Amino acid sequence: MKSLIRKELAFYLNNPLGYIVITLFAVFANFMYVKDIFVNGSASMRPFFDVLPWLLMIFVPALTMRMIAEEKRTNTLEVLLSLPISEAQIIGAKFVASVILTGIGLLLTVGLPLSLLVLTGEVGSSIYLPEILVGYLGVMLMVCGYVALSLFYSGLTSNQIVAFLASVVTIFFLIIFSTDFASGSIPTALQGVFNYLSPATQLAGFVKGIIDFRAVLYFISFSLLFLFLTIVDIEKRK
Amino acid sequence: MIELKKVSKQFGEVQAVRDVSFGAKKGDIIGFLGPNGAGKTTTMRLIMGLIHPTSGTVEILKSNPITNRLQTLTHIGYLPENNPLYGEMQVQEYLSFVADLKNVNDKEIVAKIISSVDIEEKLTAKIEELSRGYRQRVGLAAALIGDPDILILDEPTSGLDPIEQEKIKKLIIKIATRKIIIFSTHILSEVEDVANRLIIIAKGTVVYDGEKPKRAGAVEKLFKKLVQ
Repeated sequence: MKSLIRKELAFYLNNPLGYIVITLFAVFANFMYVKDIFVNGSASMRPFFDVLPWLLMIFVPALTMRMIAEEKRTNTLEVLLSLPISEAQIIGAKFVASVILTGIGLLLTVGLPLSLLVLTGEVGSSIYLPEILVGYLGVMLMVCGYVALSLFYSGLTSNQIVAFLASVVTIFFLIIFSTDFASGSIPTALQGVFNYLSPATQLAGFVKGIIDFRAVLYFISFSLLFLFLTIVDIEKRK
Repeated sequence: MIELKKVSKQFGEVQAVRDVSFGAKKGDIIGFLGPNGAGKTTTMRLIMGLIHPTSGTVEILKSNPITNRLQTLTHIGYLPENNPLYGEMQVQEYLSFVADLKNVNDKEIVAKIISSVDIEEKLTAKIEELSRGYRQRVGLAAALIGDPDILILDEPTSGLDPIEQEKIKKLIIKIATRKIIIFSTHILSEVEDVANRLIIIAKGTVVYDGEKPKRAGAVEKLFKKLVQ
């Protein structure tokens, strides 16, 4: 499986596409936070984590859309399936590679808490580092869910753009129905369901520095469900 | 070592192959002939376990390629139709990747294969920059890694010029000992030069399975008689 992961990573890291997408994400993520930092007047990373579900909604599908769709278009998936490796290994490797790539993007945002640490230190205050670490943990769990969902759509089509759009739209609706903006337009009985299904709602606890095991379970189940569906879809085509 | 018994495959309304039965043993070099859409690729994909038969059974080395897929695939080398490869990879990188996935850790084995298909001078070239002939040799090298007992080659000379076709034909003959080779082709002379057995498939059904006729031009006559 290591070779498969290396192959996926090598494609992005030997190709301007990977650097462009990761850099764009880092620029937007840093900018969205920095532009308001002095207006907010508080040394908290919460506004940063609050915006990440929306930013990653674009970034993760952009990285993941080609993973299976391109293999199908060029028929290299048949080459992989003719080798003694299982479908689960193929999908697992693509999943791990995508999570690593997104992790690299997130790594480029650690300058923000470090800057906060310096700035607050200068005024004799400090930020609470464990809260930030738990926030990053929550974001990585959310990334796993986004990657699994995007891989699923990438496996359904050989068109990368279709895979990208389907992933973005699905994540958008998962998030939007839990916001105040849209929750008024859905029946009260369903509001709890949509709230529960929203990655942004599940992330909220982590942003406050709380490791909520129900949310951990949600992200793990969400990821496993879509990885399972992706594998089943490949097997079903036989 | 390969046994297909009354194998049929249906895609929706389309009956791709119907009641295909044949066996193959070591030393068989089977030329698999048929017009476009006759069911050659479907049959090969059924042998590989890439698709499941609608009815009938496929056995590879007395094992089911669907239920024992991973174990069966260690014995088969496959060159798919149009030879899909990762264009962004270098030749050496690609072959090492395939070797890793086939659990072949001995670099000397890979080096020998590289030498046998004569691609040493292209090892650092990107696959997308290679000529069609070289790409075909890379695909063949990948299929040969792991010294498989069975080689399934789907139109290995398709789109090649006569000189490259000749090279690939010689390669197949060179590697044929102690193996089963099934290769599909449209080029009838290729079967005369390379195969020792002939299977002709038309409209999804095997219409000839036997020794290759020995007289020059006899394969073409037989093919035309059975297919047209």
